[in-house]
Amino acid sequence: MEAISHAGTVLGVLARDGVVLAAEKKVTGKLLDLSGVKEGGYGGSGEKIFSLNANVVAGVAGITADANSLVNYARQAAQRHLLHYNEDIPVELLAQRLCDLKQGYTQYGGLRPFGVSLLYAGYDPHYHFQLYHSDPSGNYSGWKATCIGANSGTAQSLLKQEYKEEMGVEDAVALVLRVMSKTMDSTTLGSEKLEFATLTLDPVTKQPKAKIYKPAEVDALLQKQGLGKKEDTETR
Amino acid sequence: MHAFAERFSTNGAAAELRRAKEILGEDDDVSDVMWGSSGGFGSLVNGVPKFAVPSVPDPTSFLRMHTDDHADPSCRIKIKHGTTTLAFRFKGGVIVAVDSRATAGSYVASGTVKKVIEINPYLLGTMAGGAADCQYWETYLGIQCRLHELRNRERISVAAASKYLSNLVYSYKGMGLSMGTMICGWDKTGPAIFYVDSDGTRLKGDLFSVGSGSTFAYGVLDQGYRWDLTDEEAQELGRRSIYAAGHRDAFSGNTINLYHVKEDGWKFIGNYDISEMHYNGPGGADGYGYDVRVQGRTSANPPPEAAAAQA
Amino acid sequence: MDVSFAITGKGYVIVAADTTAARSIVKMKTDEDKIKVLSPHLLMAYSGEPGDTVQFAEFVERNIRLYHIRNPHGLRPQSAASWIRRTLADSLRSRRPYSVNLLLGGYDTSEHAPHLYWMDYLGTMVEVPFAAHGYGAYFALGLLDRYHDPEGSLEDGLATLRRCIDEVAKRLVVAPGQYKVKVVDKDGVREIAL
Repeated sequence: MEAISHAGTVLGVLARDGVVLAAEKKVTGKLLDLSGVKEGGYGGSGEKIFSLNANVVAGVAGITADANSLVNYARQAAQRHLLHYNEDIPVELLAQRLCDLKQGYTQYGGLRPFGVSLLYAGYDPHYHFQLYHSDPSGNYSGWKATCIGANSGTAQSLLKQEYKEEMGVEDAVALVLRVMSKTMDSTTLGSEKLEFATLTLDPVTKQPKAKIYKPAEVDALLQKQGLGKKEDTETR
Repeated sequence: MHAFAERFSTNGAAAELRRAKEILGEDDDVSDVMWGSSGGFGSLVNGVPKFAVPSVPDPTSFLRMHTDDHADPSCRIKIKHGTTTLAFRFKGGVIVAVDSRATAGSYVASGTVKKVIEINPYLLGTMAGGAADCQYWETYLGIQCRLHELRNRERISVAAASKYLSNLVYSYKGMGLSMGTMICGWDKTGPAIFYVDSDGTRLKGDLFSVGSGSTFAYGVLDQGYRWDLTDEEAQELGRRSIYAAGHRDAFSGNTINLYHVKEDGWKFIGNYDISEMHYNGPGGADGYGYDVRVQGRTSANPPPEAAAAQA
Repeated sequence: MDVSFAITGKGYVIVAADTTAARSIVKMKTDEDKIKVLSPHLLMAYSGEPGDTVQFAEFVERNIRLYHIRNPHGLRPQSAASWIRRTLADSLRSRRPYSVNLLLGGYDTSEHAPHLYWMDYLGTMVEVPFAAHGYGAYFALGLLDRYHDPEGSLEDGLATLRRCIDEVAKRLVVAPGQYKVKVVDKDGVREIAL
């Protein structure tokens, strides 16, 4: 729990036609070599936001090593469901699977629980767009907008003030970035400190489409929203 | 049944006795239509026509080595392999429709087989089972029908022609003949259809379908059949029925041959490609195919608000 | 000797199965229900090896129920079908496989659409607008290609089903006498008298 309260903030907002996730990366020092994560595999740097399945993206806060293990578990659980039932795992079920695992580690002495909280942004035909939060104890709950990690209290109250029912995904993106810029330690937002993802429906196939933004795309988005760094200060 | 078989066997005491009887003109069971008229006296001398049987102790097993029966001796009905044929009677005459696929096992040997045998201008025979058997014996039947005409100065009835064929194939029962045929035509009594097969079965009826695809053809045929169909409706029904079989039965397909028998004899209506029928139909506008027919139709029924959200 | 049919239409699936239970040449029973109600929106007609059929159907029934209890929402028709297919496929590769053929008709309440799956004991599965098992298939499929309407009303669907049953009665030597007919739509499952 302690680790989570220091971890980079992860913020999620549920919209009428999509879900938005944003995560703050803690850059541990100037000497950290980030050249390898400029492009990312499927997008993003793969530090805070992960694709768990075709219909679910998750943001993690806590011990990174534990998170990696959980992400791996979740991906396997989702694939197992796909194998058995030939459908994308329902979002709540995936959250439940992870929580069953997490809960197990709270029951026995000698085992250390996973020090990770997650936000799940997902879509399934039962409840359409959904946002869930799970904590290390194995509790989970559904949210319209929520936040985990450092400064989550501040962010939560900001979200409570500004959240509007029935907002579209465009508004949600703006809201998330606005709240994020206010809660983060640094004054300017940039791709080296921010990960960003949306989950929407593909207009053609009507299937859920997760988009985890590449660093360049994050910068472009921030520019568009007027929250990015000034052009002249970008070089470092 | 046994007595009947014995009567037509080509050897043994009964056969000898029969030959003697035939020469003396004492054959009372076989009808005059077939053999007995004065004009046809010559045929009596020869009795039932004979076909050279292999001169080996067991002709059946010898034959089996030269047919696809040797693979599966228990498979005695080859009719079930690879054909769809149909014929039905209605107020406008007789419709005869067949497919054109020939298969040897899983191999499609030909896609352009003529499965309607034009016995004479008033008689058609269909072909199912052994192609050679059907072709040979129905051509032979054509010869006999012509002789009948010459001897009796009138056309042979469909009943008589089919009975001739039936008796003929029955005399070879158990020797490996494989035929399932419909003898169709128009005679004094009007349109007529007889089903004749190599077991010796002969049936008079309004509607028959023979071959591996017959069940599929029956499904469409039975449901669309009425006595008072118009000529166009009847031809369409025949076409659709063969299409159904060609589509669903792997051993039937390629093209449809369609005939219409009326008072003045049979007429060939046309040859239709089954794939063409599937996509475009005979007129080029309405395909028979299920997917073609129901294109754009869906069983989903979202409530109005959900439908609006989808759009 | 079992005959079963299923037909989809606008917002429903009709599943029909004959009601005879035969052993050798003897009819043991003439009102056997061979259509299981697996969930509020799922029907399964089963046929095949006597003994295997009921055992397998009940096994499936209990497992689908268990899933419903354990999980936040029940299985959708396509997921249930996939699970059943896998179970059959695993069974085929076991010491004693189930010899059961199935027709699975369901209504997906989340996407408001009926679904029908044809499945055989080998684990072959295909989603179809209409289906049949047993000798009835030989007579009904050509007919259904010709007459089935995916947007037909329930009355249309039942009329088409009646065509199939009549055709089988007309042409099949061992045609069954009676059928049980069930329908699944947005309101759930119910039995219908033909």
